[in-house]
Amino acid sequence: MEKKRGETIWTALDRKATAIAEFTVRQYRTRLSTWVVLGVGFLAISVVLLFYIDAMNSEIEAIDNDGDSYDWDGDGYVNGQEFKYGTDVNDPFSHPGLLNPPIEAEPASMYVNEDDYDWDYSDASSTWDAKDNDGDCVDSSLLPSQKDDNGDGIVCNIVLRYDSMTKSYSVYADPNVDEDPDEDRYGKEAQHRAFILGVGKLGFVFLLSIFIPLFLATGLIRDEMTSGTMQYMTAKPIARGEIFLYRMLGYLAIVWPYLLIVCALLALVSGFMGPGDQFYRFGDLGVWFSILIAALLATLVYGMLFAFLGVLWKYGIILALPIAAWELGMALLSMSVPESSFLRMSIVGWSMSIIDSGAYLAWPDMAMFTEAGAWAGGSNDMSSFLFIGGNELPGYGALEWAQSDLGLGMGPYATTIVSILVLFSQALFFWFIGQLIFKSKEIV
Amino acid sequence: MIPDLAQEGRAQEQQWVPEPQAPVVMFNNVGKTYGRYQAIGGISLALSGGVTGILGLNGAGKSTLFKLLMGKLQPTQGEVRLFGTNPWKNPAPYARVGYVPENENMHDWMTAHEFVSTFARLHGLTRDEAKQEAERVLEFVGLTDVMHKKIGRYSKGMRQRAKIAHALVNDPDLIILDEPLQGCDPLARTTIMNVIRELGRMGRTVLLSSHILSEIERITEQIVILHQGKLLAIGNLHAIREQLDNIPHTIEIECSNAKSLAKDVLNLEVVHGLQFPSPTKLKIFTHHLGEFHKRLPKIIVDNEHDVMVINNPDDDLQSILGYLTGGFR
Repeated sequence: MEKKRGETIWTALDRKATAIAEFTVRQYRTRLSTWVVLGVGFLAISVVLLFYIDAMNSEIEAIDNDGDSYDWDGDGYVNGQEFKYGTDVNDPFSHPGLLNPPIEAEPASMYVNEDDYDWDYSDASSTWDAKDNDGDCVDSSLLPSQKDDNGDGIVCNIVLRYDSMTKSYSVYADPNVDEDPDEDRYGKEAQHRAFILGVGKLGFVFLLSIFIPLFLATGLIRDEMTSGTMQYMTAKPIARGEIFLYRMLGYLAIVWPYLLIVCALLALVSGFMGPGDQFYRFGDLGVWFSILIAALLATLVYGMLFAFLGVLWKYGIILALPIAAWELGMALLSMSVPESSFLRMSIVGWSMSIIDSGAYLAWPDMAMFTEAGAWAGGSNDMSSFLFIGGNELPGYGALEWAQSDLGLGMGPYATTIVSILVLFSQALFFWFIGQLIFKSKEIV
Repeated sequence: MIPDLAQEGRAQEQQWVPEPQAPVVMFNNVGKTYGRYQAIGGISLALSGGVTGILGLNGAGKSTLFKLLMGKLQPTQGEVRLFGTNPWKNPAPYARVGYVPENENMHDWMTAHEFVSTFARLHGLTRDEAKQEAERVLEFVGLTDVMHKKIGRYSKGMRQRAKIAHALVNDPDLIILDEPLQGCDPLARTTIMNVIRELGRMGRTVLLSSHILSEIERITEQIVILHQGKLLAIGNLHAIREQLDNIPHTIEIECSNAKSLAKDVLNLEVVHGLQFPSPTKLKIFTHHLGEFHKRLPKIIVDNEHDVMVINNPDDDLQSILGYLTGGFR
């Protein structure tokens, strides 16, 4: 045969690659099990999405953290209004209605959530001149020294501080400043972020990325060997390692577009449904992108691993199950102790690092935002050692659970790059031993 | 790497160069054991050119022999060489080999055309080249009119022909067919036999296995007889049969009047015994099977005997094997 210009070993390789990959895609398409697995995965994610939509559409009940909406003396004027006009909240014969000119009573609802946070979460380690919207601090009868509880020399302000030793943020607030936050505003944002991180980590990287390869990749080589149809492929001038690799390409050609579609759908819905005044939350796209990258790599590595297990033993799925259980443990560990060295011996740990890095970049205020939820207007400030938990803002618990710090002790970009490289080398490793085993297998 | 997505270029020249002096197929003291079961023991054989039938009962080691040749099994002893290359280590020789496995499972969800062209691309053919090649070989095996139907809806014979077609892409020098006629209807059987004979005429080396002597006999005279993993005989079928002539044979003839036929047959000196299992059946014992078969037609025609069936129950593989191994069946 005549050799043409531009004809290299790669073009021939590529022909074999596309032939087997196309063959594999078509084979998947004809199998009902493929559609069942992908459909169930989509259904599971959709159920979580429904919960999210429901959460976004239901109002979070406003809590009057500072008690300004109560009317202690029963004179028809709530405490907040009496504070504003300097009348006695405990004396029914002292209220703004008796002033000259008399002031009409305002509805109690005006004094709920009336002193929301008005500081920038992303601006830590700085003094923030928080506005005391309801004057609970400025207009109170406290001494000036009492009004400057945090001791920064400015009365009625908030100091946000980052402790590089413990890597934690702290809120040092003067009394009664920003003490009645808007639960709905905070809660929606927290739930929104918790949803994205939760669905990304457990939905995509754990659930989809383990169970789809478990059902689709385990039989990639094994099924052909047990049914005897591998006879045809191995009788052609192609190395077994190539067969393994190109079969994987076909598997990825099914799984990757599927992940892209599901991820894009969630990014669209949550972007439009999410809290905030903007039309679409473009800021979240970075997180969705990192979720997609993490899921693509996780399905690649798990696919290689499970295909290898399938080659290793006819009942490779039995070997895959303890691994899936280990990975579930690692997934939960990664969300609570992200710096644990056990995570280095997992696939899910590295994948979740990518999502954490993405969240770190897309939401730079995350750590402070979480701390603000725990601080909850100062209601947990003093009593935190008396009772654990306390009155966190709604959504705080979910967010605290779903988010975690960067465990590698590196910056977000370095963490992402290292994680991607590690995942690729894991895939390469499993391919290498997989094809070694495949090569040594006799095809009966 | 620039992906050749348009797949316009011509097939790549194979890097692998076969040894010019080496026989196409060579087994040197090859053995294969599965645990304590010996499938093949100490087979030495070299073949080049022509159609060779590998005969043996089920479990004689025919498929094992082919699988060793196709690098699917690793020999436990000895050397297997395909065009001078060890097939277990190197898949390159398969560029010149077509293999039809015995396995009945196929990719039922594909059409024959898709099946053949997909596997043709593994020879390094482009999409278009593979399509042309598929059409060519499918026409060769006579499946052109059904090639766009799913293999799952094919009859046994059509499936067998699709398998043969897939093995013929890229014009192989060696074609290995494992039980190609098994389970086929008479029409498919004839077509496949013609295809194999045609391949032999084209100068290809063809290896086919069967456990039915008469099948092989209609295709080729060059046979290899395997028995219990050992090489029992190799060479021309008739030469092997000649050796058997001096051994008692039984011939069963069904005719309208067995007694009158017996009278005529008894005149032949080669016949040394007769039996009448029923009024229309005659059993003849002879030491010279070839001689008897030469004379029999004349007797039948001259005396106008009404013969329905002539059966050589001994002239099957089982009995040949029996004689060759020195025992009676």
